[in-house]
Amino acid sequence: MDLTKDYFSNLGLPCSYQIDLAALADSHRQLQQAHHPDRFAASGEAEQRQAVQTASYLNQAYGVLRSPLKRAIYLLELQGMEPLAPTNTSMPMDFLLQQMQLRERMEELPAAADVETELEQLADELMAMHKQLQTDFASTYEAGQLPTAEVVVRKLQFIEKLQQECNDLEGRLLD
Amino acid sequence: MALLQIAEPGQSAKPHQRKLAVGIDLGTTHSLVATVRSGRAETLADSKGVHLLPSVVRYRADELPQVGTKALQHLVDDAANTIMSVKRLMGRGLQDVTRLGEQMSYVFEACESGMPMLRTAAGLKSPVQVSADILRVLAQRGEASLGGDLVGAVITVPAYFDDAQRQATKDAATLSGIQVLRLLNEPTAAAVAYGLDNEQEGTIAVFDLGGGTFDISILRMQKGVFEVLATGGDSALGGDDFDHAIANWVCGERNIQNLDLAQQRFLLRQARQAKEQLSDTTVTNINFADWPGTNCPADIELTRGQLNSLLDPVIAKTLRATKKALRDAGMTIDDINQIVMVGGSTRVLRVQEKVAELFGRPPLTNIDPDRVVALGAARQADVLVGNQTGDEMLLLDVLPLSLGLETMGGLVEKVIDRNTPIPVARAQEFTTYQDGQVAMAIHVLQGERDLVQDCRSLARFELRGIPSMAAGAAKVRVTFQVDADGLLEVSARELNSGVATAVQVKPSYGLSENEIADMIKASWSNVDIDRGARSLREQQVEADRLLASISIAMEADGERLLTEDEQKAIIKQMETLIVARNGEDHHAIAKQIEILAKATDTFAGRRMDDSIKRALAGKAVDNI
Repeated sequence: MDLTKDYFSNLGLPCSYQIDLAALADSHRQLQQAHHPDRFAASGEAEQRQAVQTASYLNQAYGVLRSPLKRAIYLLELQGMEPLAPTNTSMPMDFLLQQMQLRERMEELPAAADVETELEQLADELMAMHKQLQTDFASTYEAGQLPTAEVVVRKLQFIEKLQQECNDLEGRLLD
Repeated sequence: MALLQIAEPGQSAKPHQRKLAVGIDLGTTHSLVATVRSGRAETLADSKGVHLLPSVVRYRADELPQVGTKALQHLVDDAANTIMSVKRLMGRGLQDVTRLGEQMSYVFEACESGMPMLRTAAGLKSPVQVSADILRVLAQRGEASLGGDLVGAVITVPAYFDDAQRQATKDAATLSGIQVLRLLNEPTAAAVAYGLDNEQEGTIAVFDLGGGTFDISILRMQKGVFEVLATGGDSALGGDDFDHAIANWVCGERNIQNLDLAQQRFLLRQARQAKEQLSDTTVTNINFADWPGTNCPADIELTRGQLNSLLDPVIAKTLRATKKALRDAGMTIDDINQIVMVGGSTRVLRVQEKVAELFGRPPLTNIDPDRVVALGAARQADVLVGNQTGDEMLLLDVLPLSLGLETMGGLVEKVIDRNTPIPVARAQEFTTYQDGQVAMAIHVLQGERDLVQDCRSLARFELRGIPSMAAGAAKVRVTFQVDADGLLEVSARELNSGVATAVQVKPSYGLSENEIADMIKASWSNVDIDRGARSLREQQVEADRLLASISIAMEADGERLLTEDEQKAIIKQMETLIVARNGEDHHAIAKQIEILAKATDTFAGRRMDDSIKRALAGKAVDNI
């Protein structure tokens, strides 16, 4: 396996945002079967080292391609872009406003009368936004509108962060 | 039948000759070795037919150490030279073991590496050496019963073992001449023994109740990947507590008081027997025929019902810990597809009943709970040396605790999150903090918390020879490589110059075993504290940076470019920031940073103009 090649070609998938996740999982498992260090447990040090590197690459590739956000970032990076560069911070005003509202809602949530229902509702809304953004990315990316796709990626990152915080909050409130 | 053994010329007489490999359960109180023969995993016995090897080593001057039952006999008369429970010392620093040592009565000494050494009649012994002596006996037993040299062994470790503890275990194996095929998590091994790796997917609870410890692990199995979702338990809870509960009840019933040591032992032994008998019968007799003392009490009847009510309070504690582990894993009772029972104390019927009641399904109990871990390890060893053909199982483990680096202000920046499938390699870039910085200290940590002091320190090393550059211009890439056993190697490289250094992580020690297990749990309850602490440290670092740069500028150009009043005003704001910086309120620090930055705007502007003027001074316009 040529580890300098991109994740898509090494895992035998088309270089596209919309991929077959089941095919990805199968391919990852088959390649790990062949390259995992456990297959070389009784072999020499050089082979084991090589196996550790290949298996690490495969785990990394699988982790990136499986995640809707990481896959989007990776596709743009293959195009020579840096969607998450620290200098890259401009966001549309309406999106920022929406973020602030969501954040406020989350802050006030612990005081709500029915915390569990409110939490569930917020989580559902975030999930719907996440799905929509994935669709947006696929269409803009496939159409070659890379600067627009880049903004979508940053939105996706915002939403994932909110989802994470929402999860943490749930853990604390329901414990 | 003989016809089947005829081989073609040139072909091996035994075309399917198996490679010899074993699984080893290196336990706190006892250890086991197992292998796969004729497709079945089985534990191996010593020459007397005994399978369990007590994890006890006795050192004598000028003689080979005694291991197992022989050593166990000298636990009382030669306590200082007879080492037990060495697993609790693996990968630990002197400070940790001195704390543990208060209960263990051994004499510890420090050695150069900071590893604690036990003083014995055969000289100083490290926990790694003691473990190696146990492993050596197990490997010899394996070779004797299998009739050949071992290709290697799979050795099990608790799921919550960190890098230092895993490394120490592997070192012990190397020292005893065993090639380690893989370090395997104990709960994963137990699940493998039951063949649960053959299921497509599912969530498994592994309930491990030994004599003195209780561990609960929640595993997720997804198409060949075993993931440890959560671990929990109590390092001071086990079957011994059952025996004490029964003995106390007997004392109350027969009004026995002021027991001497022999009487205590007698009662505990009778209690344990009664407990074991009541798994087969519904009523038993505790008899005092051999009572060591006068006033022999009358025999007493114990029914299974009475036993249950004595054990229930102890069992309730294990169930509480189980529920907590489920919550940590983000799972509910209904998500659990299988429950695997490990440890001798899960033989108690009441334990099985209560666990079944909690999960609403019976746990798996048909494999001997003392041997299940070793049997799973043996199966994995058999696969690893290539004895299985066709659809081979592959266990992909995950990192048990997050790995990170210390950044400014005592914060930990995570480089690899816990539960990332291993092996894994990850690189992170860092930069220099000060102008002209030529070296960078790299401090590797493991744990879930945000502050260095709350994580386990794994290693410190220095990258030297970075070319002198402005702060932030150097690019140091630190690469973490974790292998399939969860062991870490770290390397660092400055990207502009190519200066590089690497280190195999050797433990720098510092935490107790419980602290490690608690670290994961604590990270859940400390999210808020950590967030506050992180913000505070970040603001403090920012404040220090600003104060340092203004001090340098004031010293260089203050008098030349500022009036006395202007200087005083800036110094006053600097002092206010220092006060805020030493406080606890990160909002106050942030606010004062802004004020000070604004107060020095004019000064910064004048310095800029001045440096341009000076750069241009005395040069002809043509030369610019």
